[in-house]
Amino acid sequence: MAERRVIGPTAWLVGGAGLFIGAIAAWLTSQGNPGNMGLCIACFWRDIAGYFMGSQTGQAGLAYIRPEIIGIMLGALAAALITKEFRPRGGSAPLLRFVLGFIFMVAALVFLGCTVRVWVRLGGGDLTAIWGAVGIVIGVVIGVFVLRKGFNLGRAKQLAAPLGWILPAIAVVLLVFALVTEYGAKPEWATLTPAKGKAVVPGEVVVTTDGDVIKPADATLVDGAVVAADGTVLADAEKVASAGAMPGGLRAALWISLLAGAAIGVAAQRSRFCSVGGIRDSILVRRFDLLFGVVGLVIGATIVNMLFGQYNLGFEGQPAAHNDALGSIAAMTLAGLAAVLMGGCPLRQMIMGSEGDADGAIAVVGMFAGAGFSHWAGLASSGAGLGDNAWLAMAVMAVILGAIAFIKRPRVA
Amino acid sequence: MKEVDVRGLSCPMPLMHTKKAIEDDPAEILVHADSGTSKANVVAFLQDAGYTVSVDQTGEEYKIKGAR
Repeated sequence: MAERRVIGPTAWLVGGAGLFIGAIAAWLTSQGNPGNMGLCIACFWRDIAGYFMGSQTGQAGLAYIRPEIIGIMLGALAAALITKEFRPRGGSAPLLRFVLGFIFMVAALVFLGCTVRVWVRLGGGDLTAIWGAVGIVIGVVIGVFVLRKGFNLGRAKQLAAPLGWILPAIAVVLLVFALVTEYGAKPEWATLTPAKGKAVVPGEVVVTTDGDVIKPADATLVDGAVVAADGTVLADAEKVASAGAMPGGLRAALWISLLAGAAIGVAAQRSRFCSVGGIRDSILVRRFDLLFGVVGLVIGATIVNMLFGQYNLGFEGQPAAHNDALGSIAAMTLAGLAAVLMGGCPLRQMIMGSEGDADGAIAVVGMFAGAGFSHWAGLASSGAGLGDNAWLAMAVMAVILGAIAFIKRPRVA
Repeated sequence: MKEVDVRGLSCPMPLMHTKKAIEDDPAEILVHADSGTSKANVVAFLQDAGYTVSVDQTGEEYKIKGAR
């Protein structure tokens, strides 16, 4: 083969998109989203799962239909329709893609963030995210090895038009629920974390960061303490002050989130941005263009976080993060491998699903199911560290990924 | 002319197949792709390898022609 450029002109397109996505993510935090969680595909689907399943999965503090997710899907859909890239297709091992999406999500929630949030966290100065990045690289290296051995989920085929609309239809359903909840009333069965809510005594005493008592209904705030109607002190001032806001209650205004998501969806669809593909392509085919995406994301997030005074360099006290290095590396190794096996990171799966790819849509549905399962089974981490059974779950997932990776090798004509 | 069919393949297989196809340096190559992403990636990859690329879009697929 003759000489080939390893960095082409599309590097600037992907890099620019990454810069934009990182900047928007950091800006969303300034608008009310959780720290270093202006954009996180796993966390946001987790919150959506909490809205629908939270009463069963114990997600009172992680329940909100994140409008960014809806915006990303509708923005990508619009971009795909305009550029005539919307093509109903699928049928490439959908069941395995569901499993891969499921495993990706469970692993990501052990780390506390998807392969996108790793870079968002780094852009906020969160050095514990380095462990996640190390894990992604290890997972991708394993994935590249598997791909070189001939791993392949098989070819997708053209599908009947309605099947291409699975993910856009889900987006519309979510939008209806989001709008009804915002401007009408939340359905009885749904769970919604109160805006700016702090769980002082989980499930019993909930106040907002503005100083309103949400639960119990008849209690009031007296000199910073929560006092019941009969005068009993339910939580003293120190306890109220030290309680952290629940992530699900930290959110930018609905329309800001929706429009920011749409802008990210368009940028990602046009640029083919991927949070793992850059590392994969660099190793596998020595092409570095996609790598500019994540580099741009970290730079964009860093700049905007600094502008808004949100930048906090270090390992300690990072928002929605823990400092379990080994657990983080293991979790993101699994997530990185799962992402390579399904052909792209969770953001890519959403974009492809919005372009009519039913397989991408199935992977997203798998992620949604995995989020509910993770919290129901107590596998998701907290700021304090890993759940009791997280290592067991990761071992099981490693075995399943290994089975998929080494057995699934059909021929490609 | 070398011909490669990457229709229906997930990332990064379209690039892997294209890379393999140009290893023996064909003067002309035709790649059949069916998604916007694989089209964009293959076009950029061939251009990086020094090919002049043209794309013929039909209803079902992109015919990507590279020549040098």
